[in-house]
Amino acid sequence: MPIEIPKDKWPGSIRKVTLGATAAEGGTRAKTVTVGGQATMPYLHFEAPTPNQPVVAIEIKSRKPEDWSPLLAEVWGEAMADPAKWAKAAEAAGADLIVLALTLADTPDDAVKAVKSVLGATGLPVIVWGPGQAEKDNELLVPVAEAAKGEKLVLGLCEDKNYRTIVATAMANGHLIQCRTPMDVNLAKQLNILITDMGLPADRILMDPTTGALGYGIEYGYSVMERLRLAALQGDSMTQMPLIVTPGFEAWKAKESKVGEGVPAAWGNWKERAVHWETLTAAALMESGADILILRHPESVKRIKAAISELVTA
Amino acid sequence: MTNHTITFTLADSKTVTVQARTGSLLSEAARQAGVEIGQPCGGQGRCGRCLVQVTAGPVRRRSTLRLANEDIQQGFALACQTVIEGDAAVFVPPQEKIERRLTTDRVAAEVSVPAGYEYSHAQTVRRVHLTLKSPSMDDQTDDWSRLQTALRTQLGINDTGISLGLMQKISAILREGEWRVTAILATMNPETPETSPTRIVALQPGHVDEYSPLWGIAVDIGTTTVSLWLVDLVSGQARAQVAEYNGQIARGEDVISRIVYAGKDGGADEMRSLVLGTINGLLETACKRVKASPQEVVKAAISGNSTMIHLLLGIPAGNIRLSPFITAVNHPPLLTGIETGLAIATDAIVDCLPGVASYVGADITAGVLSSGLNNAEEVTLFLDVGTNGETVLGNRDWLVTCACSAGPAFEGAGVIHGMRATAGAIEEVWINSETYEPGLRVIGGGKPKGICGSGLISLLAEMLLTGILDKGGNVALTVNSKRVREGDHGPEYVVVWGAETETGQDIVISHVDVDNLMRAKAAIYAGFTMLAQQVDFKLEDVHKILIGGSFGKYINVEKAVQIGLLPDVPWERFEFLGNTSVRGAYYALLDWRERENIRQIASRMTYIELSADNTFYDAFMSAMFLPHTDMDKFPSVSAALNKSS
Amino acid sequence: MALSGIQIYKLLPQTNCKECGFPTCLAFAMKLAAKQVELSACPYVTEAAQKQLAESAAPPIRLVTLKAAGGEAKAGNEVVMFRHEKTFYNRPGLFVRVKASEGAEAIGKKVAEADAYKVNYVGLDFTLDGFAVEADGGDFAGAVKAVRGASKRPLILIGKDPAALEPGLQALTGETPLLYAANASNWEAMADLAKKYTAALVVSGETPDALADLTQKIQAKGVEDMVLDPGGKNMSQMLTAWTQLRRLALKSNFRPLGYPIIAFPCDAKDEGVAAAQAIAKYAGFVVLSEFKPEAIYPLLVLRQNIYTDPQKPIQVTPGIYEINQPKPESPVLVTTNFSITYFAVANEVEGSGLPAWLVVCDAEGMSVLTAWAAGKFDAERIAKTIKGFDVASKVSKKRIVLPGHVAVLSGELEAELPDWEIKVGPREAVDIPAFYKQVLM
Ligand code: SF4
Ligand code: FES
Repeated sequence: MPIEIPKDKWPGSIRKVTLGATAAEGGTRAKTVTVGGQATMPYLHFEAPTPNQPVVAIEIKSRKPEDWSPLLAEVWGEAMADPAKWAKAAEAAGADLIVLALTLADTPDDAVKAVKSVLGATGLPVIVWGPGQAEKDNELLVPVAEAAKGEKLVLGLCEDKNYRTIVATAMANGHLIQCRTPMDVNLAKQLNILITDMGLPADRILMDPTTGALGYGIEYGYSVMERLRLAALQGDSMTQMPLIVTPGFEAWKAKESKVGEGVPAAWGNWKERAVHWETLTAAALMESGADILILRHPESVKRIKAAISELVTA
Repeated sequence: MTNHTITFTLADSKTVTVQARTGSLLSEAARQAGVEIGQPCGGQGRCGRCLVQVTAGPVRRRSTLRLANEDIQQGFALACQTVIEGDAAVFVPPQEKIERRLTTDRVAAEVSVPAGYEYSHAQTVRRVHLTLKSPSMDDQTDDWSRLQTALRTQLGINDTGISLGLMQKISAILREGEWRVTAILATMNPETPETSPTRIVALQPGHVDEYSPLWGIAVDIGTTTVSLWLVDLVSGQARAQVAEYNGQIARGEDVISRIVYAGKDGGADEMRSLVLGTINGLLETACKRVKASPQEVVKAAISGNSTMIHLLLGIPAGNIRLSPFITAVNHPPLLTGIETGLAIATDAIVDCLPGVASYVGADITAGVLSSGLNNAEEVTLFLDVGTNGETVLGNRDWLVTCACSAGPAFEGAGVIHGMRATAGAIEEVWINSETYEPGLRVIGGGKPKGICGSGLISLLAEMLLTGILDKGGNVALTVNSKRVREGDHGPEYVVVWGAETETGQDIVISHVDVDNLMRAKAAIYAGFTMLAQQVDFKLEDVHKILIGGSFGKYINVEKAVQIGLLPDVPWERFEFLGNTSVRGAYYALLDWRERENIRQIASRMTYIELSADNTFYDAFMSAMFLPHTDMDKFPSVSAALNKSS
Repeated sequence: MALSGIQIYKLLPQTNCKECGFPTCLAFAMKLAAKQVELSACPYVTEAAQKQLAESAAPPIRLVTLKAAGGEAKAGNEVVMFRHEKTFYNRPGLFVRVKASEGAEAIGKKVAEADAYKVNYVGLDFTLDGFAVEADGGDFAGAVKAVRGASKRPLILIGKDPAALEPGLQALTGETPLLYAANASNWEAMADLAKKYTAALVVSGETPDALADLTQKIQAKGVEDMVLDPGGKNMSQMLTAWTQLRRLALKSNFRPLGYPIIAFPCDAKDEGVAAAQAIAKYAGFVVLSEFKPEAIYPLLVLRQNIYTDPQKPIQVTPGIYEINQPKPESPVLVTTNFSITYFAVANEVEGSGLPAWLVVCDAEGMSVLTAWAAGKFDAERIAKTIKGFDVASKVSKKRIVLPGHVAVLSGELEAELPDWEIKVGPREAVDIPAFYKQVLM
């Protein structure tokens, strides 16, 4: 008698979320990107197919970042000074989505201009981040949301302290939000509940549980993601949002990637190590259920996309 | 439109008659008649407080929420929801009757003397009359030997001890009573009374009436509240019950702060005298009520968490808080009045009941005894909704327990307008979902002074249901009411305007208060869910949930479920016991066999340390939401929220 | 199936005699359920109970230990599918592969270099766990000897032909190497070899059925230590196979597949990513194609991260954290190293845009109140941290803000740090920005 393989039959699944809107849908994107829909733990095709594969976004900034690793400056070169060019380069490097991070130096006008130029330069759906300070986020994201009404942007990072304004403007202008909580299953779910209680439909929320880089707490994010995914499959509707994670941002903060000098010899070749660091951070998160992985280095993008396509073929 | 005659009969049998039109409400008719029927929820049919009994005549009930079928058969109806359709006779029951009818209300059972209590068998102290031979030149036996001889010959007691203090008084007392004397004796080892040594704890001249009261006290030293019962050991009756905040509160709200404070120079002495001050004050109040003197109290049974007992006895408590959390003593030996500093008889027996561990003290072992959990056949949960959030799960075969720091919020402390459940405390709140105006019930019926634990629970629940609070516990400033405003401590809700309060100040609940209450309820909920998980027991399978705590007499379990303090199981499983610790001390005070039961409970209770890993933190975080992050665990609350939004 | 505390309790005498060193039989039973004590600590267990308890205690995945003079590599004994459910216990061994055809000299050099490799991560020294030698023609015994000449770590011997492997085994007497691999056609000879040389044996098969069939037959021949190789052509197939095997062992308690798994990222398209998957998803032994520090180091760190105990509180590294580019006159805020506490404080300050030095004290990963309650966050510890990280050298204004929950510490801290100004901040992190603006500016 053949061995019976234990299969999990889950009552729930990840919610399908579509980013971006084409002209027909009221936006200007060349195509939209849909994530979510999975009804198993990641890539277990013997239980259920993977309806939408995870996608890779590349993070660019509205102004040339001064604190990025020289290795990144080397690959993006001149493009870093112009978000439109940078977005084009990112698309060429294989990005499925563009993340445009605004900065503290931006005025609302600058922000709107940067977003418009990126929307003009690429047909990919766009995620826009405020600079990360509640007041400034609100100041920049509200005009951006209004100026890009109907594009189905993703607005972020929507946190405990600033969610009301961002959610309100996302609701008014037909956008999505990236909802971030600090590495805790309960906090993630609580924010989702509060936001849906405000009236934003659940299929316009992407959940960012915060993930550490390899060596810097990746295991916490990893387990939080697994737990959120399990809860979602068990039918908990407030954890069924697709997961969006930032391995690029986290990995390039790490000393292992950022610097090449004054580090132990046992760390080996800097450039290769740095890319490994970002790739392996992303790879682990991919295994624990990420739907959108935001990266910085084109080499990591290539490797992760290849791994995804291997994993999604049954 | 026809007029109908409505006759109201009040609790004191007075009757009032009014004319009311078809289709009008009983509550309107009552108002016309000048009959007082409280409508805390503003006549929305939610609270059930306007309950009346229609003894005759046709009426139509718009809503029967809160009423059981048998209630309806007996004619009970909600005045605010009942339409007059003809002549009717209506009985208006007193408030207490209503509380016992409503499915959500829980009133603590009255204390009664344990069935079959017999002073002569159960007590370890007893009063004996002795008649001594007067001395003469022929019989120059010393006074003490003379007394011993009388004890031996008249009562067969061979081995008797006495303190120096009493020895100093013997001669005078014997002579004052002309060699007739009443001795109060204590058996030091009641299990073996024949061989047990006896001590004289008091001597009185003459033969005191054998049925006159012999006073004992049962005390619970809570971190926040101290309760004392003055008990007549002869009849077994608790003749006065008093409570007050623990004087140590000023030195820290939780046990840890107290321990730290006691560790400082002179801190231990100060802590000791603070709590003694509270107990002795209560003692005096209680004695005054029955016109007794504290000095007449000959026995005390003392319950309380381990830290409180250490601080009372002046035993260093520092190791209680440091890993591996070891007490100096879980079960102190029998002590005397003078040693402990209690203002009772110098030689009175002071019995500090046995605890289990640093964070599970005599309050819990005594609580288990008085709840009967140790004899339960089915698995039962016992919750002490107090500062230390102790929880016990088990039955007669096994008992596990844990504690988690909940803070004093449910005892009314640590909340700006919180207070104990005494006269002037708001013990129930209903908020109108359209006007946001509250309806209140105040203990004693006078002007409100503050809000007690049960009031805070219902307030929180009502604020959630009416949308004044979101599920994260944030006050929604967008609510259209002048009662919701930005206050000194963040956003707040005004429960009572200053014009209507005892102090003239607004009674409010602030964002910070809400946060404290949420922490308290989250800690307690996390505690018992973790405990159940540790022994692989499903909470929904518990047979009964026994609630202890300083809630006064009353708690509304529906409201406690709505805020996620209690689990969402059928209401009939909840029982409210009031202060179980002092009750356990009372039983132990009366009967040495109960005292022995407490010792056995202590020896078989298994303590589970929750802080050992972060699963407790996880459970706590998920309970830091209203009612809970996992709404599936609270189906009845989800339904209520959906209905109200 | 493992018994719960209550189930075990029912098998104990229930007399609470305390001789086992626990206050009650139930306390002892719960420790037993958590595998933190030995049953033998209770002198009064009946024989019947003993038998029942022993059965329930048998691990669903057998512990396989490779041994050599220079160390051991353990795999197995795992009890959960996801690390948060309990923990992953035995970190998978990382082995670097050499081929006999490379020649003894080249092998010796490569192995010596890899063997010497040591890297430090948060105070822990990591190394490789051993080497795999492949019999691909050439002098296999010579190759094994060359490896042994350069390293004393455990070995995996790879080859299809038992006859070709035997000379290698002969060179490893007294060790427990891992033999790769028995399959449907060679299993008898391989089993004999494994038995003769006390080696552990990898069993290769494409399906769970094929694997189980082989492990049962091999076990019948007296070999107990086995490792599974389910093959797989790409990451997807491997993930499926590894997940199914782990489930069959843990959920179905299917003994014939209750063995650790070996993975070969060395043959994958992207070795790093494939190795990451193997580490995260259940491999017990991982074979890599070559030794490169920049590739090995991230894998060692990932392995450490995935195999940490998730029940321990989440901690951040104690130290000084700079928020919003603080200047010498910026205030110094103090908190504990519980990650949620740290995040709460750091996020609030960061979000406010106000510059500050955030000093994180080692409070064993507890929140401010818990740590204070447990005596892990007191004036002495704070002072030691301030001095230890030489905070004074970074600031011009010596000003410390204490969390409001530990306001009681301010007096003692003043005594410990006499030339610092001690301020009591708010209790909750959300109130920090307002406090900062009112009090610190
Ligand atoms: S030694 Fe055995 S019988 Fe005694 S308490 Fe421990 S487990 Fe129970
Ligand atoms: S139910 Fe009638 S007043 Fe509340």
